Amino acid sequence: MARDLKKEIKAKLNDDIMQDALSRFADQYPGSRLKSYAGQDIEELRENLRLMKLDAVDHIEELADKFEENVKARGGEVFRAKDGDEVKKFLIKICKENGVKRVVKSKSMASEEIHLNECFTEHDIRVKETDLGEWMIAIAGHKPSHMVMPAIHLNRYQCAEMFEKELQEEVPGEDIPYMIQKARQTLRQEFLQADMGITGANFGIAENGAIGLVTNEGNARLVTTLPRIHVVLIGYEKLIPKTEDAAKILRLLPRNGTCQKMTSYMTMIDGPTPVMTKKDGKWVEEDRKQYVILLDNGRLEAAHDPVMKQVYQCVRCASCLNVCPIWTLVGGHVYGHIYSGGIGAILTGLLNGIDNFSQFSDLCIGCRTCTTVCPGKIPIPDLIDELRNRYVKEHGTPTMDKSFFDKVLNDRGLFHKLLLKAGSVGQAPFKSGKYIRHLPLFFAGMTKGRSLPTIADNPLRDRMARLEKQNPSNPKKKIAFFSGCNTDFVFADTGENVVKVLQNLGMEVVYPMGQSCCGKPIIGVGDRETGKKAAMRNIEALESVNPDVILSACPTCAETLAETYQSLFKDDPVWGPRAKAFCAKVREFSSFVAEEYKAMGKLIPASGGEKVTYHDSCHMKRGLGVFEEPRALLDATPGVQLVEMKNCDKCCGMAGSFGMKYAEVSIPLLEEKVENIKATGATTCVVACPSCMMQIGGGLDKQDTGIKVKHIADVLAERL
Amino acid sequence: MKKVCVNWPKEAFIDGLVNAKYWQDFADNAKAAAAEIYKVKDYAAAEEALKKVLKEFSPKEIIAVGGEENPVLAGIYSRLSTAQTSVYTDKFDIAEHAASADVGISTAEFGVGETGSLCVDNYSYEARVTSMLPFVNIVFVNANYMVENVTTACQIIGKVFKKGYCGFVTGPSRTADIERVLSLGVHGPNKLIIIAVENEGGTE
Repeated sequence: MARDLKKEIKAKLNDDIMQDALSRFADQYPGSRLKSYAGQDIEELRENLRLMKLDAVDHIEELADKFEENVKARGGEVFRAKDGDEVKKFLIKICKENGVKRVVKSKSMASEEIHLNECFTEHDIRVKETDLGEWMIAIAGHKPSHMVMPAIHLNRYQCAEMFEKELQEEVPGEDIPYMIQKARQTLRQEFLQADMGITGANFGIAENGAIGLVTNEGNARLVTTLPRIHVVLIGYEKLIPKTEDAAKILRLLPRNGTCQKMTSYMTMIDGPTPVMTKKDGKWVEEDRKQYVILLDNGRLEAAHDPVMKQVYQCVRCASCLNVCPIWTLVGGHVYGHIYSGGIGAILTGLLNGIDNFSQFSDLCIGCRTCTTVCPGKIPIPDLIDELRNRYVKEHGTPTMDKSFFDKVLNDRGLFHKLLLKAGSVGQAPFKSGKYIRHLPLFFAGMTKGRSLPTIADNPLRDRMARLEKQNPSNPKKKIAFFSGCNTDFVFADTGENVVKVLQNLGMEVVYPMGQSCCGKPIIGVGDRETGKKAAMRNIEALESVNPDVILSACPTCAETLAETYQSLFKDDPVWGPRAKAFCAKVREFSSFVAEEYKAMGKLIPASGGEKVTYHDSCHMKRGLGVFEEPRALLDATPGVQLVEMKNCDKCCGMAGSFGMKYAEVSIPLLEEKVENIKATGATTCVVACPSCMMQIGGGLDKQDTGIKVKHIADVLAERL
Repeated sequence: MKKVCVNWPKEAFIDGLVNAKYWQDFADNAKAAAAEIYKVKDYAAAEEALKKVLKEFSPKEIIAVGGEENPVLAGIYSRLSTAQTSVYTDKFDIAEHAASADVGISTAEFGVGETGSLCVDNYSYEARVTSMLPFVNIVFVNANYMVENVTTACQIIGKVFKKGYCGFVTGPSRTADIERVLSLGVHGPNKLIIIAVENEGGTE
């Protein structure tokens, strides 16, 4: 079913209630999370969890066999289900066998993954979600917008409407405690009358066949206590070896999920347990029936995939959503399925099919913030890239993307001419063609919310002959300067300043003319084959001058050259070693200069002056791990005083192609950035990334703030 | 009463892991999780504390477990019943009155310093309904039975958890599903009151 994602996004951006809820949450979450970890070594806890889960997935069949054996030994029944249909068939069968008329559920996203509730309703079996949020959502026929807080997109008045619909009575929206008590009374009857309780599991323990459930409301305890039948629907990824290993999940999941040291209830259930029922007016005690359904639905294939097996490290805490700049703006619904956000894109791809994934995979902007909080240390953006690569391999690159990249981005002369032409005729020829989606921003006629930079009349490449004349006669090192598209065509003045700073350090700077686009735009859409061509061309061009260092003042280019090129050719016997040697020479500008300054004793704090603030580019901070060096350089610059802005490392919204394709999401991110810059009282915002420079510069200009944006090379060169 | 382990101190506790020195962490974290705590020196003081707490709720029906294993508790339970308050300790009586009881009294095996959690052995049906269905849950625990963190707690549980139902209870039942406003007592108890006894073998 084709969806109009842009339309859905627009609706969410106009949902003021959701916008208010999500932005308040996004503000509070990082601090609350850290507070819950006070006194704990978070990195050690994360690493312990990662290693435990990695070991589990590597032994998944063994664990599953052992788990099954132990559940059976205790009197439980185990059913291994290949997919949702098998689960449904099995469940309907046992419902019929046991005369089940009423079902209560708790904590089962897997059941939503396979649309289980609809199946019960079709068979005239009453089914109720018992988690308050999910209960409300189910009444309204909505889908959860978050894995932990399903109703976060609603306010109390909207919730009250759902109560009214279910209870057929007036419910005052301002009175939350009243609603809670109403829900307690209503759902208590459901618990007491239910024949069957269905739960998911936060973990399943192989050594004893127990399952663990983590909840705050206590509904899982009632679901597993009152009905005479307990069904567990558990995915293979939840299996762990021992009871002790549960601690490795439990020390992170509540803290990351709800900023609690522990949830109200952590319940472990091992085999059938006693239940009391009234028969002929007399209480009778017997063991309840327990059925454990181990759900595959794509999980086992993922377990044997060397890259995708990392999804087993997910404990469904949803912290990746909580810090995701895009989720925070658009909410969970636009992701289409039960699992939202970055990890949701991956899980949906693996469990619901790659076609579903492809529809919204580019809602990940690759800012990597999620990788800094994920308890299982899953490299979420990398897994998304990998799935995208596979999708493209199977379905092909959109032809326009590919041919445009081949013809234009790879031909710098043509590229520049087109840019100038685009600028002169107001971007008209490029206004709405599909092929522009992965080109740098200045092609798109998206001037709403930001000004577009003018294209340099004289690209950097045409200035280099003049600049190279200033090279020192006795250079310390020979640097091959890789400019990247933005520095070549838009910020050519910054390019000049990079050269000047390096020459001032005693470096010889050369500009190999054969260089082209680094290839990130085409690799980013998943076309690694075309990306390889760009890589070979650049490796050849830059190697030809035999440099000591290959340097870029764009962190995205630097990351692509230093890391992606290696992985592109990792199985290539010829290009592999060549790329490795090449990659070892690649340096990012600010960290390179800081290192040289330090060696020269020049990296010492200078007296302050003009207030400047610094924006961390995503690729710079979380891709390259560079964030101290630019600050040290600013501290060492006389006449400059660094003041930090709020959320200095939050994405500015540019994110390569994203800023163009989803301008409606990109602009709010930019506006937030501009607000944070303004609040510092700085006269200049310093960046170390040309893409951020374009985005932030455009935002500052559009709002007429009078605040300048400068690359750190500009700041350094001004004071040489 | 059916239990995962009939004698946790003897069979589950690992030498060196259980220590009264983790009490303060436990108490601080349990309070932060909205539990009420009374630390008393012996069962006589515990009974006094319990009666004082109960006065606040003037319950009509109390269901209570843990008396079978601990005759001192059984004694206390028997003295709670008055003309206004019925106390049920037999498992079938508990089942009959679980849905209507105002207060449930139960026991925990040990506390966890890192989180303020109580480790509860809830293999029996009556222990589960007693701690979950009434609006108030009062829990007895030995104040000396404290462990440092969740890791050590899971080691101890892992030693004896072969079958049944156990876990942690940390404060009362809560939700934040409406506007992220914290609300207590959504499905389980609205109040969790911990009575920690320092000297269980002491004066009766």
